Amino acid sequence: MDVQRIWVLMGKEIRLGLTSFMSIYVLVMPVALSLLVALIFGDLFAQTPRLGIFDAGGNETLVQALANHSSIQTRSYASQAALEAAVARGSVEWGMSLEADFANVLREGGAVARTNTYRWGEAGARSLMLIEAAVARAVVEATGLVFDELPVSVEVVQLGEASAASWSQRLLPLLLIMAIVLSGLFIPSSSLVDEKQKGTLVALTTTPASLLDVYLAKTAVGFILSGLMALIILALNNAFAGNPGLLLLVIALGGLMSSILGVILGSLSRDMETFMGIIKVLGLVLYAPGILEIFPQVPQWIGRVFPTYYIMNPLLEISRNAARFADVALDLAILIGFIVILAFVLAREIQRQQQQLALEG
Amino acid sequence: MTMIQVSDLSLTYPGTRNPAVDGISFEVGQGEIFGFLGPSGAGKSTTQRVLCRLLQHWSGSVTVMDRSLADWGQDYFAHVGVSFELPNHYLQLTARENLKLFANLYPQDVTRSEDLLAVVDLTADADTRVGQFSKGMMQRLSFVRAFQHEPRLVFLDEPTAGLDPVNARRITDHLQTLRADGCTIFLTTHDMHVADLLCDRVAFMVQGRLALIDTPRNLRLAHGRKQVQVEYRTGEGRRQELFDLDGIGGNERFAELLRSEEIETIHTQEATLEDIFIRTTGEQLL
Repeated sequence: MDVQRIWVLMGKEIRLGLTSFMSIYVLVMPVALSLLVALIFGDLFAQTPRLGIFDAGGNETLVQALANHSSIQTRSYASQAALEAAVARGSVEWGMSLEADFANVLREGGAVARTNTYRWGEAGARSLMLIEAAVARAVVEATGLVFDELPVSVEVVQLGEASAASWSQRLLPLLLIMAIVLSGLFIPSSSLVDEKQKGTLVALTTTPASLLDVYLAKTAVGFILSGLMALIILALNNAFAGNPGLLLLVIALGGLMSSILGVILGSLSRDMETFMGIIKVLGLVLYAPGILEIFPQVPQWIGRVFPTYYIMNPLLEISRNAARFADVALDLAILIGFIVILAFVLAREIQRQQQQLALEG
Repeated sequence: MTMIQVSDLSLTYPGTRNPAVDGISFEVGQGEIFGFLGPSGAGKSTTQRVLCRLLQHWSGSVTVMDRSLADWGQDYFAHVGVSFELPNHYLQLTARENLKLFANLYPQDVTRSEDLLAVVDLTADADTRVGQFSKGMMQRLSFVRAFQHEPRLVFLDEPTAGLDPVNARRITDHLQTLRADGCTIFLTTHDMHVADLLCDRVAFMVQGRLALIDTPRNLRLAHGRKQVQVEYRTGEGRRQELFDLDGIGGNERFAELLRSEEIETIHTQEATLEDIFIRTTGEQLL
């Protein structure tokens, strides 16, 4: 291994990378998507708040007033169980179970009216505020009364995990994985496949540069670009928060894992078609944790099956929840384990490739 | 001084029964152009790959530049140049950028690039992207790349393939200059004219073994007929006659032909390297 030669080869990688369509694609794609999510998707996916109602009887006027309210979407359910199920799965963000003659009890003022309400764990604050205002207004409309204090006993039951993730927050994990994996994996792998096909790899190995030098240069470029892209995506999404040192450590480990994997894949792929075929299958596995984050209804433990989870999760924990080293240590240990395994595989692959080049060169 | 010493070299590829190279031995001296000839699959590429330290797991003894090949590290290539049959350059870079990239990988100062570009007539195109080069231009660039770090030993594979006669002559002329400067060249080629023109010695390889090894002149003499062919014109047309070289000075018929006929050509009948190749390997050159 020779640092000077690795440096020369890295310069070549960057120089050629800037003119490669694949590199431009993988560098621009996550940034473009990030901007798209921030500028458009956030508003596009901010839906009208959804209220579910179960009326035990005699509250038609109130239900009608809520249904007529333009700021919210009201759905009626035939039973309290149906209402609870709808809230639990997120079909409606807030559920109200009205006892029989709830409106009349209010109007007559003889007793405290009772209602069971259900809150979906992931309902956003904006939705809850709009629903609350709509309900208060509907009650006034239905009863024709103005209260200083509503004589209502409200029991709130939360269904589903509490989380207030916006769409842009939900898409952030996928964008982060794209940023780290696309640049870390695609740039070294596509460059390596190209060099094998054009015969420049064997030409390099008949100079004082070894195959190890060549592979390390490609890994280093993937690692650096991957880290830069992760930082850019975090900054664009206002997510560069928490412990910066810890954040950089996770980004570095993630970039290292992606770039080593990229070099291995590039080395194993006979040509670009084979490589793209592998990526079609592997891409889904790599992006899976980010895709799962978009759908909170899916059990999140599934994400732990995929290696990129151990990049994504610590990053999110640090940036969102200000996690400390101890909080993410297990994830980082698993990530380092993956890196060690991949480094071992890479060492074996370099030996195999050396023989392969001799046979084909 | 011996540059390459190969003794009982054998190599069998994994998964095959027959050795690709079967116990060959030869030496190449410093400043020698050594031609390695043979049909496809004869084992000459395998031998060259062993000598280029690309292939491992061979048996026998190989010493290059007074050091066992197994003991050399990647620093071997600081003293060795390699030019491949198929040009392999970075097409997005210019010729000069390609050369500079490779030059930067050597521990020594590489200063010959511009001179060599001039030798192969590429100076005017040095700042053109290699992707726009013809095959012949790429081949000439490969030549420059192999020699720019002033190696002591160079492996050349079909160095004149795809070149027009003028550029082929530039290359062969320069190889002769380099030989005079002490550079050793291990040449693999199917071009018997180039081998005959350049090589101090040639080796014919057949089925993993060395069938012949000698100077082109000795091979021509050994495998040719010691005869001379006279071609002359008569009123009935062109005629040929063959005479033994032994005692030709006293051959009356030969003397008479020279005196009385309109002689067009006189040629001795030594074999060409191509004849020897075909006879030795049993294969026709393409």
